[in-house]
Amino acid sequence: MKNDRQRTFLLITIPILALFVCFNTIPLIRGVVYSFTNFRGFGKYDWVGFRNYIDLFSDARVGKSYWFTIKLAVVTTIVVNVISLLLALGLNSKIRAKGFFRGAYFLPNILGSLVVGYIFNYFFTYIIPALADMTGIKALGSSILSSPGKAWIGVMIVCAWQAIAMNTIIYISGLQTVPEDVYEAGGLDGATGWKQFKLLTFPLIIPFFSINMVLSVKNFLMVFDQIMALTKGGPAQSTESISYLIYNNGMSGGQFGFQSANAVVFFIVIVAISVAQMKFSSSKEEQL
Amino acid sequence: MKHTSTIGKSNKTVMILLILGLSTIIFPLYMTIVIAFKQPSEMTNSISGILSLPKNWSLDNFREAMEVTDFWHSLGNSLLISVTTIVLAIVIHSLMGYALGRNKAHSKFYNFVYLFIVSGMFVPFAILMMPLAKQTAELHLANWFGVILLYVVFYMPMNIMLYSGYLVNIPIALEEAARVDGASTWRTYWSILFPIMRPMHATVAVITALAVWNDVMTPLIIMAGSGENTLPLAQLNFQSQFGTNYNLAFASYLLSLIPILIFYGVCQKQILNGVTNGAVK
Amino acid sequence: MKGKRAKYLGTALCCAAAALSVQGCGNSSADGKVEIEIVQYKPEAANYFKTVEEEFNATHDNIHLTISSPNDAMTILKTRFIREDYPDIIGIGGDINYSYFVDAQILENVADYEGMKDINQGYLEIAESLELIPTEGTYIVPYVANAAGILYNRDMFAEHGWQIPETWSEMLQLCDAIKEEGILPFYFGFKDIWTCLAPWNAMAVELAPSDTAKQVNRGQTTFTDQYRELAEKYMDLLPYGPEDPFAYGYNDACTAFARGESAMYPIGSYATPQILSVNPDLNIDSFVMPAGDSSEDRTLNSGIDLGFCVMDGCENKEAAYEVLNFLYEDENIQKYIDDQNAVPCKNGDFRLASMLDGMLEFIQSGNMTDYQDHYYPSEMSVDALLQTFLIEKDVNGFLETFDTNWQRYNRDIIRMVQEYESSH
Repeated sequence: MKNDRQRTFLLITIPILALFVCFNTIPLIRGVVYSFTNFRGFGKYDWVGFRNYIDLFSDARVGKSYWFTIKLAVVTTIVVNVISLLLALGLNSKIRAKGFFRGAYFLPNILGSLVVGYIFNYFFTYIIPALADMTGIKALGSSILSSPGKAWIGVMIVCAWQAIAMNTIIYISGLQTVPEDVYEAGGLDGATGWKQFKLLTFPLIIPFFSINMVLSVKNFLMVFDQIMALTKGGPAQSTESISYLIYNNGMSGGQFGFQSANAVVFFIVIVAISVAQMKFSSSKEEQL
Repeated sequence: MKHTSTIGKSNKTVMILLILGLSTIIFPLYMTIVIAFKQPSEMTNSISGILSLPKNWSLDNFREAMEVTDFWHSLGNSLLISVTTIVLAIVIHSLMGYALGRNKAHSKFYNFVYLFIVSGMFVPFAILMMPLAKQTAELHLANWFGVILLYVVFYMPMNIMLYSGYLVNIPIALEEAARVDGASTWRTYWSILFPIMRPMHATVAVITALAVWNDVMTPLIIMAGSGENTLPLAQLNFQSQFGTNYNLAFASYLLSLIPILIFYGVCQKQILNGVTNGAVK
Repeated sequence: MKGKRAKYLGTALCCAAAALSVQGCGNSSADGKVEIEIVQYKPEAANYFKTVEEEFNATHDNIHLTISSPNDAMTILKTRFIREDYPDIIGIGGDINYSYFVDAQILENVADYEGMKDINQGYLEIAESLELIPTEGTYIVPYVANAAGILYNRDMFAEHGWQIPETWSEMLQLCDAIKEEGILPFYFGFKDIWTCLAPWNAMAVELAPSDTAKQVNRGQTTFTDQYRELAEKYMDLLPYGPEDPFAYGYNDACTAFARGESAMYPIGSYATPQILSVNPDLNIDSFVMPAGDSSEDRTLNSGIDLGFCVMDGCENKEAAYEVLNFLYEDENIQKYIDDQNAVPCKNGDFRLASMLDGMLEFIQSGNMTDYQDHYYPSEMSVDALLQTFLIEKDVNGFLETFDTNWQRYNRDIIRMVQEYESSH
C-alpha cells in the first residue's frame, strides 16, 4: 500500500515536471545563453562574455529602476493585503446583497489595461486637480503623474486598485476552510472582533496569507501593464520598472542580450526574496 | 451559528464601508459605459463634458466594434483557449499540487520539485519570449494548442501553491480511512480529495481565467502570422501610436467583459458552497 | 485503476497528436499560384492595404497576395525572424530598425527594381545615409514620407491676422502676439514621451547637421557641441505651452487643439486624423518650424514613413516586384496619401492634403532633411531623456548625459564604424 502511494506520486510528478522543464526551464537556459552575447533579437551576434553583467552594475538607469520597482512592490503589497483582507472579512460576513458586492469588487481586475489607463489618466490629470481647486488643497493642484517625485504613487494606486480583487478571492477561499465550530468554541470563550480575528481566524488562514504575500510581491516586482497604460516610464524616467526596461529595450529596442542579463539578475533577486518569504511563513505555519 | 451575533453588530458598519468602497469601482465603470456610447466628436478635456451622458444611446459603437474585431470568431478562439486551459489547469495542477503538497514536508525530492516549479513563477516573461517563439515553431506548436500548453506551464507555479496551501487544512486522516477500506491512492484522490477541493478549483478557475482572458503577449508572439485572433489581439486594432478610437475600444472592452463576469458569477458560488464543515472533520 | 490511468495517458497522447496534425499547412499553394506575403507596420493604414490586397488578387491569376497590418508589427516581425519564418516583403519606416536590418543582412538588394528610377532622389539619399556603414546596394523602396513642423488653426490665424513666421525671432514674436490675445500659442502632450521628439526633430533639421549622429560615431564631434543651441531654443518654447505640459498626453493635446484651446500644435502631419475625429470642421494647415536667423536656412523635416523591403531569401523576387509595381501605381499611391495625409516618395503629379499646403514649396523643391531621431537607437530612449531635460531644465546636464549614453548604447556600432573608417 505504501508502495502504491509512492509510485502514484512519482507517476504524477515526473510527466508534469517534464512538461514544465520543457517550456520553462529550457527556454530560460536558452535565454541565459543570450545574456552572454550582444544579440539584438535578429541577425548575427558576437559573444561578449560577462560584459553585459558588468555593464548592468554600472548602469544608473537600471539601478534607478530597481529602486523604483522595489519601493513600489513593498508599499503596494502592504496596501493591497490590508485592504483585501478587510474586504474578504467584510464580504464573508453576513451581509445583504453579498453576491452583488462580490461581483462588483471583482470588476477592476477584468477591465482591460487600455480602459484602466485612460480612466486613471483622466482621473489624475483633470478630476483630482479640479477637486483640489474646489477644496483648496494646494498639494494636489497638479497631476501627480506629471511629477517625477510623486508619479509612483499614482502607479501604486492603480496597481492596488486592480490587484485587490484577486487577493480578496484568495482570502475568501481561505476563509472557507475555517470550520464554523472554531468560531463557536471561540464565541464561548468570549473572543470577539479583533481578538477573534487575531487568535482564531488569522492563524488558520496563514497559508493563504503567505500565498498572497508571495504573489503580491512577485506581481508588483514584475509590474508592466500598469506602467505601459499609465506613464510609459515617465515623467523623467521615474517610473521605469525592471520589466518595462527588459521588455522595452530588449524586445522593442535592440538590447536583447543586455536585457537578458538584466532578466537573469532580476530572476535571481525575486527568487531570493520569495524563498526568504516562504521560509519565513512556513516557519510561522509550523509554530501552530 | 453563535458568531453571527457578534458579527451582526458590526453588520451596518461593514455595509456602509462596502458601499463607500464601491464608489471607487462605480465611477470608472460609469466613465467606461458613457464613453462606449459616445461619438469621437463628443470627447472633450473638460470634466463636465466627459461625465455627461452621451447625446443618444445608440448601439452603433458596439456594432462597429464587433465588426472590426470579427467578434464571434475572436470570441470563439478566446473561449476555446480559456476553457481548455482552465480544464487542464484544474486536472493537472491539482494533481501536482496534491503530489507535492502531501510530500514536500518530509521528502527532500518533492520539496525541491516544489520550490523548483514555484520559482518558475519569477522568470521574467521577456527573457522567455524569443526562445519560446523559436521552440514552439520547432515543435510545430505555433498555434492555439501551443498557447494553451504554455498557459498550463505558466500558471502551474501559482496554482500548485494554491492547491498545496489548501491541502494543509485537509486532514490526511481522510485518505487514511479510505486506504483502510482498500482503495488505491489514485482512486482516493479522485473520489475523495478532488471533490473536496472544489472551492479551490473554483478559485483556480477564476484566477486562471482572468490571466488568460486578457493576455495579449503570449498569443501575439506564438500565433503571430497565423491569421487567427483572440479578443485581446483583435482589440489591439483600436490603438496605434498616432490615434486611438477610445469610443470603439471601450465598447469592445465592455463586450468582452460579459463572458468572464458570468463565469465569475458561476464560480464564486462554488468558492462558497464547497467546504461543508462535516467533510473536513 | 490501471485502466483509468491508461485512459488519461491515452487522452493526453490524442491531444498531442491532434496538435501536431492541426498545424503543418501554410504556404502550400495548391492551385499553383505564387504566394506573396507582406507584413507592414502601419496599422492605421490597414483598410487601404485590405483594398489593395483584394484588387491585386482580383486582377492577377498567377500570384496570391496577403497583406497583414498587425499592431506591434515590430515585435511580430522579430519573433518571426527568430523562427526563420520570413514574410516575402516587409513594410517598415526609415528608422534605426531599418539600419539594423540592413546590418543584419536580412534584406535583399533591390537596386535592380525598375520602379526605383521613379522614386524621389531625396528619399533614396535618406535611405542611403541610414546605413550604419556604407553598404553596396539599395534595400528599401521608399513609399510615402511624413512631414513634421507646426500644425496651426487656419481660421484662428486668419481672424487675428497672424503671419506665418520664417525666422526664430519672428516665431517668438508670433507667440507673444498670440499670448497677448489671451490664447495659448502651443499645446504639448509631453506625458506621452515620444511627443517630446516632435519639436526637437523639427528644429534640429535647421540647427544641427543632418548627419550629426554619424559624425559622432566617427568621433568627429560631440552632441554637446551640436545640440546646445537646439536645447536652449527648445526650452524657450515651454512658456508658450500649457502650465504643466507633462500632465497631458498626445490624445489630450490633440483634443485640446481640435477644440481650439491652442493656436498651434508642434507635431507631425500624422496627427491630423486624430484631431479631425474630435472636430471634423477644424481648418488645419501647417508650416515649417523656423529655428534660425534666416528664412533661407529653413528646411522641411521629412523622412521615410513607409517603404518596402524584400526579405533575403525571397524565392520569387519577380513576383515580389510585380506586387511592388502594383503598389507603386500612381492611382494607389494617391489613394494612400488621401487616406493618410502622407507625402509620396514617388515623383509625379499627386494631390496633397490641404493641411500640407504650408509645406508644399519645400516638398516640391525637394528641400527636406530626415528626422534626427531616425538615427537614435530606441533603447537609449532619447524621448525620455528629452522629457527629463524639459522638466529639470538643465542644458549642460542633458547634453552630457546625451553624450555618455550615446557612447554606451552605440558601443558596438561605433567600433564597427571606426573599423570601417580605418580600413577605407
